[in-house]
Amino acid sequence: MANVDRREFLKLVGAGSVGVGAGYLLAESIKHPVEHLIPYSVPPEEFSPGIATWYNSVCGMCPAGCGISVRTREGRAKKIEGNPAHPVNQGRLCALGQAGLQTLYNPDRITAPMLLQGKRGNDAFVETTWKEGLANVSGRLGVPGVATVVLSQGVRGQLANLLELFTAELGSAELLHYDFAHPHTLYAANERLFGQQQLPYYDIANTRYLMSFGADFLNNWLSPVHHSLGFGHSRQGGDAQRLRFVQIEPKMSISGAAADEWVAARPGSEGVLALGIAHQILAGGRYSGSDADDWTAALADYSPELVAEQSGVAAATIVRLADEFAQAKPALAIGGGSAANNSNGTDTLVAVTALNYLVGNIGQAGGLIFNPDPVTGPSASSRRANYEVMRDLAEAAQQGVVDVLIVNNTNPLFTLPTAAGFKEALASIPLIVSLSSFMDETTAMADVILPSHTYLESWGDDVPQPGVGFSVAAVSQPVVAPLYNTRSTGDILLGLASNLGFRDAIPWTTMEECIKDGWREIHARGEPGSGDFDSFWHDVLQSGVWGEDVRQQQDATVSKEVIDNIGVAAPEFAGDVGDYPFVLHPFMSTSMYDGRGANLPWMQELPDPITSVVYGSWLEMNPATADKMGLQDGDLVQVASMQGSVEVPVVIFPAIMPDVVAMPIGQGHESLGRYARNRGANPIQILAPVTDPVSGALATGATRVSVVATGRRAPAVKTGGESRQLGRDIVRFTSTTSDATEHSAKLNSIPISVEPA
Amino acid sequence: MNVSIVPTLRVLRPAATVALVGLIGIIAGFYANATLFTDTSPEQPIAFSHKIHAGDNEVPCLYCHVQARRSISAGVPSVNKCMGCHLEVATDRPQIRLLANYWDTKEPIPWIKVHDLPDFVHFTHKRHVQAGIECQTCHGPVETMAVVSREAPLKMGLCLNCHKDNAVENGTDCWTCHK
Amino acid sequence: MSFMDRFVSGWRKHRQAATDDDFDYAWTMSIDLDRCTGCGACVTACQAENNIPLVGEKELAGGREMQWIRIERYWEGEYPNAKLSFIPMMCQHCDSAPCETVCPVSATYHNQDGLNTQIYNRCIGTRSCAVYCPYEVRFFNYYDHHWPAPLDQQLNPDVTVREKGVMEKCTFCIQRIRQAKDHAKDEGRRVADGEVQPACVQTCPSEALVFGDRKDPNSNVSKSINDPRAYHVLGELNTRPSVVYLKKVDADVV
Repeated sequence: MANVDRREFLKLVGAGSVGVGAGYLLAESIKHPVEHLIPYSVPPEEFSPGIATWYNSVCGMCPAGCGISVRTREGRAKKIEGNPAHPVNQGRLCALGQAGLQTLYNPDRITAPMLLQGKRGNDAFVETTWKEGLANVSGRLGVPGVATVVLSQGVRGQLANLLELFTAELGSAELLHYDFAHPHTLYAANERLFGQQQLPYYDIANTRYLMSFGADFLNNWLSPVHHSLGFGHSRQGGDAQRLRFVQIEPKMSISGAAADEWVAARPGSEGVLALGIAHQILAGGRYSGSDADDWTAALADYSPELVAEQSGVAAATIVRLADEFAQAKPALAIGGGSAANNSNGTDTLVAVTALNYLVGNIGQAGGLIFNPDPVTGPSASSRRANYEVMRDLAEAAQQGVVDVLIVNNTNPLFTLPTAAGFKEALASIPLIVSLSSFMDETTAMADVILPSHTYLESWGDDVPQPGVGFSVAAVSQPVVAPLYNTRSTGDILLGLASNLGFRDAIPWTTMEECIKDGWREIHARGEPGSGDFDSFWHDVLQSGVWGEDVRQQQDATVSKEVIDNIGVAAPEFAGDVGDYPFVLHPFMSTSMYDGRGANLPWMQELPDPITSVVYGSWLEMNPATADKMGLQDGDLVQVASMQGSVEVPVVIFPAIMPDVVAMPIGQGHESLGRYARNRGANPIQILAPVTDPVSGALATGATRVSVVATGRRAPAVKTGGESRQLGRDIVRFTSTTSDATEHSAKLNSIPISVEPA
Repeated sequence: MNVSIVPTLRVLRPAATVALVGLIGIIAGFYANATLFTDTSPEQPIAFSHKIHAGDNEVPCLYCHVQARRSISAGVPSVNKCMGCHLEVATDRPQIRLLANYWDTKEPIPWIKVHDLPDFVHFTHKRHVQAGIECQTCHGPVETMAVVSREAPLKMGLCLNCHKDNAVENGTDCWTCHK
Repeated sequence: MSFMDRFVSGWRKHRQAATDDDFDYAWTMSIDLDRCTGCGACVTACQAENNIPLVGEKELAGGREMQWIRIERYWEGEYPNAKLSFIPMMCQHCDSAPCETVCPVSATYHNQDGLNTQIYNRCIGTRSCAVYCPYEVRFFNYYDHHWPAPLDQQLNPDVTVREKGVMEKCTFCIQRIRQAKDHAKDEGRRVADGEVQPACVQTCPSEALVFGDRKDPNSNVSKSINDPRAYHVLGELNTRPSVVYLKKVDADVV
């Protein structure tokens, strides 16, 4: 190295300096960024960094009303779990409930009040202040004689009371609660049979034999978490005899998969099937009530043979099911889903519910138990808008009779068929105000957006529907400080009320006060001298729930008139069999519910349990039908009804009737944020406007469709692999009677040795 | 045929020398950054002196870092807590005026973290304080520092050696400290 | 002992399946297939608890899903007698785990609680473990994943956010086990039965999942192990899983 020339030297100096620079930068690049420790000025009472604080509240993801406990750390919500003290869910929660955090922390929330600039539906909103936003709306509402419709999602408790007061004060205003999934037919059936305003409690936990007519009770029918708890208990809980469970429906649902026996029945024939079973119970002399003769006469036309013809279920099966149902004590029959969504929905559910009466399980453990009236808020079924009401509203609006529409977190534009004409109706309403937290389809048509908090930021209270056989109420409290410049629905209404000068009827300034006032009544129910309201309120906030374990009078009599008129007409379908050979069965999926789950990325990535599809829509089709049509899994098809068409990929589905096709509800959003937009198709849009005339509910299963191959392939994205076991014995079965011999009680008994010889 | 690699090596020698010098440079640069240019005692928004509080006035560590015995994090005192004393004490000093200013405007004080662990480490103050480990074991003689600086390297070796020396239950299982 | 001797004996110990006697706790999960309804609540609960990233439609289409627990479904028979069964599948925490012996850096090993660990900062991403795992429950981070603000505010501070290039899998919610042990230590006792519930077990609406210490003969999970319906999935591979399944009851099975 003695004779390093100048050139060489410069090279080495260059290499050295580049090296030092690179080394410096390398160290810099892996350096931890500067982190700050930012203390509170004055810490909140329960605040302690590094330690989780749990708040009890009420889940707002579906109408079941489960209690939740939310884990917060440093003021942020981290995890939602069920509230163990709440009798509905007893600490458990479904997937949608777990995903509630993504409603709160959704990147597509509306963050401030907004006013429309220019034409409707062009997404041109500008931010405004609450003062201005509220003044804008109350100014219009204050004009004498202005016809207002308040269209809210189904709310209960004090918020429902407040809505009633608010609309009453407005004068020429109408209040409607609209939910796609509201079980209008079930309410109508219980009202007709037993005169009950409330839905009864179905005691699945203690029943020995469950016959479900289309009710997907383990997935999203009424109160799925509570039903699942009961199902788990009656299946393998303790020493009781294991539940036997039969599911009757045209397409296997999640509940159908759990059933011991799955029976395929033609769509709309569930009611006659129930009457056939009832006929057989009476014919076998297994009902001995004083009105047995009336029943026998009323059911004379429903012999198993005749029913078999209509339902496609063999007469022998009907006889066997009737025998099993009558012999098992207690036995329970429930109906919903595919049994409730035809033009004979109410009659069908009356027939199904009558089975419970005939085996004498009303008011009994393991049977059907009547619920008391809610302890707070108006009755659950009041002001419920069914399809006919919504259609009439749309018609009225189109005639220019509606001046202002206030929409509270419900999305009729997505959950009503195009045939309802709601889109045209919105166009002719001069002022649309949306209180939604998200830019859903309906909100995109609004003139003023007054965004509400999510349920995790709001005060509220709730009475679960259906209840659990006794009075339960729960308080929902904010678990985090509001993320954005939003307000709770109640506070928005109070703000409007204050602007309009409704002080006398609506005296509260905050929703928290309003809730507390309502709970004073509940406190007054307690024994006198059992503590003052403040300590009661403190206890309620801590436990999240209040209950009064007293069963109401369970007198069930069915009037002769009802018995005489029992019967189920043939279902009506829209579309000619020749042109539209398939019955479309739209079903609510596990993750999307009625479409509200589509903007939650966890729900988009939750595989559909049965098909394992993520991020999209699909059409379920019987393998034999697909074969006949030359269709393969993943072929894109056009599904067309008389009302319109959608394109979706085919998924071959082994448990669906050959002339039925099924599509999940929830995708196909044109709005609702980045995760939901332009993904899949919405089957509701192509439904025909057929209703159940008794309840006015939309018969969602009454549309016939044609399925035509497009010649393109667009396979649904699936996470699951092979869906057959191929001898791998991954899921193993045992018969109830098998003994323990084949099992290895010592699971870890096989020795393994790598010791040297 | 007689083949030698010597000529090839001779050709490669200048390149190898350059590479070697470059490598030494990288190492030198890395260390220079890590030792000379890494701020182990950053300038804080208020020139708070642990020496005055914990040293001269013998305020116990846990008086202000009250969470340390029951939480994973020791916690920084809220401005509220500071003002508990400084409404009365030394109110005329410029740094205390700065503090009072934060208090009046209800602004939080953006302290800069001196002792920080990577996100994949689970460290709980509670267990260590309850086991009677002195704060100074990891944080150094803070009560003598007018400006806090990071004395101990807080690297895995420090944890493991102490866990081994004290025969901590499951003290060397990765999942005891890595999350 | 020479280095070579230590190496050989260490390797031998490493290759040998652990027994319950070697464990402090032997954490075990039992899954009753007769109760499981396939609802997927466990899947979302796990996503929420363990900071599992959203991988997006494109990656899912490419088979790069990231779900520590999944619901597998198996059809039997054809219409109209088709039957469907669900089975939740997650890391089985095998006492004789194939993944542990192949990791070149011991990022996955068996710890004193009978858990199959995964140490993210040690993992160098060879993916060998995923190849060896017969249950296919190990997932690789092909990318750095991001949570669009403010979704990141939901991230669980007790669980690391994994970087690109590391393997991850079910930990039986180690953060919850750690916390329960911490509480127990405060009171100078062992962790009680039911005190630790991984997120999936906690939320299961039909109570199909039970978690506990099988060394405690009175724990609920010990009762499940002794149930005549108990079996191990792919038990013939002798992996000795810590997850026990209870057979589905089907009256038609002979």
